[in-house]
Amino acid sequence: MALLEVENITKRFGGLVAVRDLSLTVDKGEIVALIGPNGAGKTTAFNVIAGYYKADAGKVVYDGVDITRLHPHQICNLGLVRTFQVVRPFRGINVLDNVMVGAFARTNNNKVAQAKAEEVLDFLGMGEEVKRMASGLPIASRKRLEIARALATEPKAILLDETMAGLRPIETDEVIAMVRKMSQSGIAILLVEHVMKVVMSLADRVLVLHHGEKIAEGTPNEVVQDPQVIDAYLGETNVAN
Amino acid sequence: MSSKKSTQTTQEIAKQASGTLYQKIVHFLFGSWESTQLTFSFLLVILMAVFPFFTKSPYWLGIVVLSAVYAYIGISWNIVSGLTGQLLIAHIIFIALGGYTTIVLLNTYSVSPWIGLLVGGVVAALAGVVIAFITLRYGLKMDYFALFTIALLVALRTLFLKWDYVGGAVGMWVRLKNPSFIKMVFNDKAPYLYIALLLLVIGIIIQYLIYRSKTGKFFIAIREDEDAAAALGVNTPWYKTLSVVIGAAMAGIGGGFYMMYVTFIDPTGVFNLGMNVEIVMAGPIIGGLGSLLGPILGALVNKPIAELVRGYLSEGTSGISLIVYGSFLVTSIMFMPRGLAGLLHNLYQKLSKPVSER
Amino acid sequence: MTPEIFFQTIVNGLFTGGIYALVSIGLTMIYGVMVIVNFAHGEFLMLGIYTAFWAFTLFGMDPYLTAPLAMVLIGGLGALMQRGLVHRVLDAHPLNMIVLLVGVSTLMIGLAQFFFSAEPRSIHVSYETAVLSALGLRFSIPRLVAFVSSMFLAGSLYLFLQYTRVGKAIRAVSQSREAAQLMGINVNAMYMLTFAIGTGVTAVAGTLLAPNYRMIPTMGSAYSVIAFVIVVLGTMGNFVGAFVGGLIIGVVETFAGFYLGGDVKIIASMFIFILILLFKPSGLFGRKRT
Repeated sequence: MALLEVENITKRFGGLVAVRDLSLTVDKGEIVALIGPNGAGKTTAFNVIAGYYKADAGKVVYDGVDITRLHPHQICNLGLVRTFQVVRPFRGINVLDNVMVGAFARTNNNKVAQAKAEEVLDFLGMGEEVKRMASGLPIASRKRLEIARALATEPKAILLDETMAGLRPIETDEVIAMVRKMSQSGIAILLVEHVMKVVMSLADRVLVLHHGEKIAEGTPNEVVQDPQVIDAYLGETNVAN
Repeated sequence: MSSKKSTQTTQEIAKQASGTLYQKIVHFLFGSWESTQLTFSFLLVILMAVFPFFTKSPYWLGIVVLSAVYAYIGISWNIVSGLTGQLLIAHIIFIALGGYTTIVLLNTYSVSPWIGLLVGGVVAALAGVVIAFITLRYGLKMDYFALFTIALLVALRTLFLKWDYVGGAVGMWVRLKNPSFIKMVFNDKAPYLYIALLLLVIGIIIQYLIYRSKTGKFFIAIREDEDAAAALGVNTPWYKTLSVVIGAAMAGIGGGFYMMYVTFIDPTGVFNLGMNVEIVMAGPIIGGLGSLLGPILGALVNKPIAELVRGYLSEGTSGISLIVYGSFLVTSIMFMPRGLAGLLHNLYQKLSKPVSER
Repeated sequence: MTPEIFFQTIVNGLFTGGIYALVSIGLTMIYGVMVIVNFAHGEFLMLGIYTAFWAFTLFGMDPYLTAPLAMVLIGGLGALMQRGLVHRVLDAHPLNMIVLLVGVSTLMIGLAQFFFSAEPRSIHVSYETAVLSALGLRFSIPRLVAFVSSMFLAGSLYLFLQYTRVGKAIRAVSQSREAAQLMGINVNAMYMLTFAIGTGVTAVAGTLLAPNYRMIPTMGSAYSVIAFVIVVLGTMGNFVGAFVGGLIIGVVETFAGFYLGGDVKIIASMFIFILILLFKPSGLFGRKRT
């Protein structure tokens, strides 16, 4: 059984079906990418998996536990954490305190949490910025902070929501390296992405969503050559890039 | 000579092992902005404590007593609204409940207010649980939350106006004439001051301990971004309730003491938004909502200035206090959103940069 | 309760409701366009009634003639407040706005107490006890005039919002700030205008109340609270909702006053308020939350 199993989830908003009958799995150390044109339902799917939206049908099983009806904080405490597409740092406090909030998911002890936070920040190359106020960070650092906070909760699975949006190529490379490191340490990663370079270089498997339904699944190379996928993207991202 | 005034990472702590006694003391007191705030808080307490030795004027002593009480109550509100960001507009409800409990217990059952205060705290805490539960269960946020608490205030005022057991519209007086320690009745103002300062010291310590703990970090996370906090494992309903309960309990105790000091309580006077502005909100807002020092600094600026202004402009003209408090609120929000403590923080940061940097 | 008393209570309730409707329309407009709850709203009513007081006391002006003056004067004050204060805090944390408005409210009450004295004031016009008897009921003339005036003003405002260019611009801003801007609407000007109208209309409600009313600087808060109830009940931002809600609450409160007594009748509105906040916060005209 895979670490994260999403079974036939459906989510409606009024008359609109945002996600229909979606199933996917992500296993330890795997990187699975969820792609699709704008409005395909990727972030909605994320929100359902992470507990922000209630699924209208289907279930989400994580580590053997049915988490479909759980609250986001309960899901996080079980080891499944998410980041946000538009990063949400705790602006009024510094970087270290931000990450400590995540670290406190696993401990009640101040010193332990602080040590963990420092360790994670070092891992992500932010060791020098621990005392900076989160509000003063440039976008690339804020993205890193977002990941750092999530990592500090010692997750076994992470949902990364369009982490690369708005980054320069060199910053994208850095984040790619970080994600690879995380995956190598055994964390299961499900990411939503628009930037195809990231998908091609990172993903073990790719799922393509279109109008809320899965239209293709396979390795990056397989998916990229799938005529249905090309069709769906026509006029959107340049798939061959 | 100055020691490096920076906050502590694990590496830095190791570096501090050496240094002269003076350096160690300065570092202990002012090494971080948190400890600096704490130091100043206690300095202000000491200032208030020695006040009776410099003047016997009951008028000025009274102002200091009220400043101390307002500071303590300000801390209780700061925990709910400053740290956790829940804009509890009618915090005065807890003060009222604590006050009524204490006076009823004293007048009707001859229970010592020392115990009555604590019972008042419990009653207020229970009200806090109910309010928190309702607002969480029904998802009342921000404006709706504020409106709900105002509605509660009005409803409670009406109920208490009609409830003869607590004196109805007439209110209740503290029923003893002779001074008595056990009944918390004193002729002189100084004992009241020291009790108020005792409460304040306890409040400062509680606030600081919370601030430094996991609970405090979670409170702040909720204030900054509730959804992000939940995504990181923070049980937001639990912590939001906890903050309200702590704030309510503290306010209940403060309310009990405040009523013992002013010796009178009535629904119109206590379930009153103007009182809420004066006692609860003005201090922390001008001092700096969300900071450690803000509530105390603010109360000590607020009350004395309001009294001074009232004294200088003609006697018996009403409205001066309201004008002062209202202006404080407006100017704080417009020009100093982080309050006086925020300004001091900026100063602190400038002073703690090594001379080579900027 | 006899049929006669029943209908009389309804009439009195509608009369009260007319005033409530005006105040609430002002509040809901401000919310609809700027998404802020004007916690100082009742104070503008208070200023309106005091305007009537001074106009009458100093110049012998009849309160009903003062109404347009109050609308312009106090509405202008509201516009200034919006431009100078509210506007600068608009994009900050909502806490700041609430505290600002509470501060403004406190300041206004304090100033009123200082300049007008905290002692109750009233003005007495010659027709204040005049009564029209018709249909077996008694209609107090001042209250009847107030009711008709408020209906007229509410109706005019509705037509203004629906059919004039400026009115449509205001409604556009309430639907989408960005879209309105893209269409060339001066959003900042619309904000000011909305505030001016919202507070001005409330001030008019104040002048309509003036005859024989016991005025004190703190009288505004009760109207603020009632307006909050009505605006939430009628769905925040909804003009018709505020209007209808105002009449409903006026009637409910008057009936409550009959059965429970004058000083406790507010509890009926509070009860309704709490129920709405808990069970249908989107109001009578709102949609259910997802």
